[in-house]
Amino acid sequence: MASQTQRAYIKWRNWLPGLLVLAILITIIWRISYLGQVSERFNAAFFIRAFTESFKLGSLYALIAIGYTLVYGIIRLINFAHGEVFMVGAFASYFLFSQTPYGLLTAFLMAATIAYGLMRVLELWRGSMTDPVVLAGGAVTVLVGTLILQSVSLPFIVAILFSMLVTGVLGILIDRIAYKPLRTAPRNSLLITAIAVSFFLQNFGLLTFTNRQTPYRPETNWNAPLTFNVGGNPVITNWLVAVIPVITIVLVVALTQFVNRTKLGRAMRASAQDAEVAQMMGVSVDKVIATTFLLGSILAAAGGAMWGLNFGSLNQPAVLGILPGIKAFAAAVIGGIGSLPGAVIGAMVIGFSENFLTAVFPRTSEFQGITEFKDTFAFVLLIVVLLVKPSGIVGEDLSEKV
Amino acid sequence: MTQERLEMAKAEAASMEDNRGRNTVLAVIGLGVLIVVLALLNSIDSSKLRDAIALFAIWGIATVSLNLINGITGILSLGHHGFMLIGGYTTALLLLDPATKANIENSARSQMTDFTLGLGLQESFASWGLGFIATDGTLWVRFLIAILLGGLLSALVGLIVGFPSLRLRGDYLAIVTFGFGEIIRLLASTRVFAPFTNGALGFQGVPSEFGKSVWWTCGLLALTVAAIAKLKYSSFGRALLGIREDEIAAEAMGVDLAYHKVFAFALSAFFAGIAGGLWVSWLGGARLDFFLFQLTFFFLVSISVGGVGSITGVLLGTALVVFVRQYGDPLEQVYSLDTWVRFAGVVLLLAGAGLMLYRSANRTGRRLPKAANLWVVGSVLALVFLGLNTNYGALGQWLTQFGRGAYLWAALPLLLVASRTLLNPQKRFYLDLVAVLSFLGLVVVVGSVAGNTWATNLTLVPLALLIFLPSETSAKADVYWFGALGLIALLLGSVAIDLGVLQTTFRGFGIRAIFLSVLLTVTMIFRPEGILGRAEFSWAWLFNERRDKPNDEERAQDAWLSNPELNQQAAQEAS
Repeated sequence: MASQTQRAYIKWRNWLPGLLVLAILITIIWRISYLGQVSERFNAAFFIRAFTESFKLGSLYALIAIGYTLVYGIIRLINFAHGEVFMVGAFASYFLFSQTPYGLLTAFLMAATIAYGLMRVLELWRGSMTDPVVLAGGAVTVLVGTLILQSVSLPFIVAILFSMLVTGVLGILIDRIAYKPLRTAPRNSLLITAIAVSFFLQNFGLLTFTNRQTPYRPETNWNAPLTFNVGGNPVITNWLVAVIPVITIVLVVALTQFVNRTKLGRAMRASAQDAEVAQMMGVSVDKVIATTFLLGSILAAAGGAMWGLNFGSLNQPAVLGILPGIKAFAAAVIGGIGSLPGAVIGAMVIGFSENFLTAVFPRTSEFQGITEFKDTFAFVLLIVVLLVKPSGIVGEDLSEKV
Repeated sequence: MTQERLEMAKAEAASMEDNRGRNTVLAVIGLGVLIVVLALLNSIDSSKLRDAIALFAIWGIATVSLNLINGITGILSLGHHGFMLIGGYTTALLLLDPATKANIENSARSQMTDFTLGLGLQESFASWGLGFIATDGTLWVRFLIAILLGGLLSALVGLIVGFPSLRLRGDYLAIVTFGFGEIIRLLASTRVFAPFTNGALGFQGVPSEFGKSVWWTCGLLALTVAAIAKLKYSSFGRALLGIREDEIAAEAMGVDLAYHKVFAFALSAFFAGIAGGLWVSWLGGARLDFFLFQLTFFFLVSISVGGVGSITGVLLGTALVVFVRQYGDPLEQVYSLDTWVRFAGVVLLLAGAGLMLYRSANRTGRRLPKAANLWVVGSVLALVFLGLNTNYGALGQWLTQFGRGAYLWAALPLLLVASRTLLNPQKRFYLDLVAVLSFLGLVVVVGSVAGNTWATNLTLVPLALLIFLPSETSAKADVYWFGALGLIALLLGSVAIDLGVLQTTFRGFGIRAIFLSVLLTVTMIFRPEGILGRAEFSWAWLFNERRDKPNDEERAQDAWLSNPELNQQAAQEAS
């Protein structure tokens, strides 16, 4: 008898997510039909535009959220500094394509990270970091790079690729300097260190990049205007609604293929399951962790460049990374932290709740709209998901870890 | 035999009773000295110093209360700025006086309603027939009522925030508390709460005579410390410590997890609310950007660097953080690039020397000596002094400008160690004295570096020697990297001053926060429990008595004494 009620209870629990989705869909349809009667403004074009914008925003969050989910999957660390890695990525691409000359220090830092990346590549060929060729290559790159980078402006796509390199090196360095000495420390120490690194990067950006809002206008036609008709009404938007999701899809598919097909990817999956056993089986866990930080940072750099292109300007470094970072983290948790598809799904949930929801509850004559609350949605969703279903939408069971 | 041991135990108990009396006397004397020192500092005509002391007390209240959750209960909470916001805005609202009210009403962008504008205690008391506490002279009564109400409201929210701690643990709980803190701040600017907070504009004209007063803030800090210390050593506090050590074991021992955790949250939020009230008073107004996550970060640095769970350590950490914040501002000014390069050189040399000392202490199989902690604090402070000095070329000028304040901060540890050395004239205590003295010397050395004469740069030679002299204990490459890069930077900054690229000026924006975050990272890597660890201040330290680590024999004795059967037996044998 008891087992029967329990089974019924489980069935009810299983239906709940479906019912929830159904309720949300019904609400949206009801709101759309209701708003159509309220005002001419809320026609199909309005909602199509909101939909594409939300999809774009979700794709942006997905690029950042994957970094959180990868790192958490392997070392169980909420990498608080990932939002700041995203910030550095955005600024790195800005400095590489911008026409205006910028400071010596920024150029030096940029050249140094590029040189470090180059030395790592040369190391594969020569076999040692202290090989004369590698050292000379690094030194020449630092010197020449510092002088050239001050005035050079690269094509946008090249700037993005280089900023991925710079940010990837940064990710590896963060892991090497701040997190690696704490591998065996309690997780709270690791989290506090991550917060410290995050503050360090915010203020380091303030120190070396700029302390004010920066226009972000590369010479590219990716954000060319785009207009199409829906039911006789024009949807005025730009090509980014297609470009950003395509970039996200390409990068996510490439990442999935990397994780599923390559040897290093297999090592990553093994380390995520059990790092100790993986190490016993001959996996170099430190190398796997470095790769994880590299991949997460590369995606974050792409996200940063797209963020700048989408909004046309970058906020000052101390605040640019915070909100996108924490929302992407919320996305990773909502989707199920540790899972790649989960991060993408969660990012879409955040993107839609932030943008589409405000379009479904817009400002009308009798209602003031919910735009001013949209930043709180991510936090509320985060808390609710953590309290109700910590494993997220598609995540593994975390009951013993939480 | 048994008789003998009983006598021994009695003698020890008696000596402990003696110590208790002595400690009470010492505590009274210490408190008196502290009050006199405060009065002296208060009489110095420097509003900067007074502000720093008041800020130390205010942040001290917040940090000690955050330590109740983070250090004593062992739950990482990151939402303290939210609690402070609630307390701060409540205090600001309740202290509205007619003049400020008129100001807000006349402002075109005011979002406040008649109801929220009417919350000011002065008018309410006057209309309730309580005119005697509505006068200008009794502002302090209203202030006390306001911060108390702010604390209670904050505690109420703390109860709500505390409930997730029953379901979640570790970093997930930290994220949830962080989320609550941010939600409080984000909601405060929306239309639901804008009538109370006046949106992004906030309030001006909160009376600042309490937040800026050394006596008010330090008095409330003393009350907070007394309350939390009392709590820590009560059965409630021991239950919290039990939760920190092992939640499951604590529950098995009968500790009610839900009650203790939620109550700890609420209590911590209560004191945070009081700190928030003082904070708005210190600032003279309440705005949303006074309550950023940064605030919690500062408290986190204080706790983690000073000593997790130790009230003494936490106050030490707060002193450090407040010192950096209040006296580190010359670091964030505009200097030419060669000054910055020299600065980086000194930082690298100090880091290399510190790393080497740490390694050699570890390699020789000894624990890091206590002196090394002071050395660390010393070099940390020395860095700040360098920043203070950068715009004053000569050493003498620097000493007159900032030396007084600097040596005041250094005087307390010097006094403690000196008295300890006098009380215990044994050779090994000279080590501590030497450490403090060398720290003072280091301050002067580092402070003089920015003068950039060959004579002052020569004083860095000992540091370089410390790194580069061949020794068995420091054979690791990264120390040499630090040293080499530091020397190169120093040379570049001193010799190559004529290079065109080094002539540009550069503003040190955010260096204080960078410094604190690096400090936190380094602490986490080398000493995750903080400088003091879990040790509390004790008079026994002054006399070099054993504090809380009994050896096996003593433990056996304790067990024997607490065994009633054996006790009875001993009593019978004695009679």
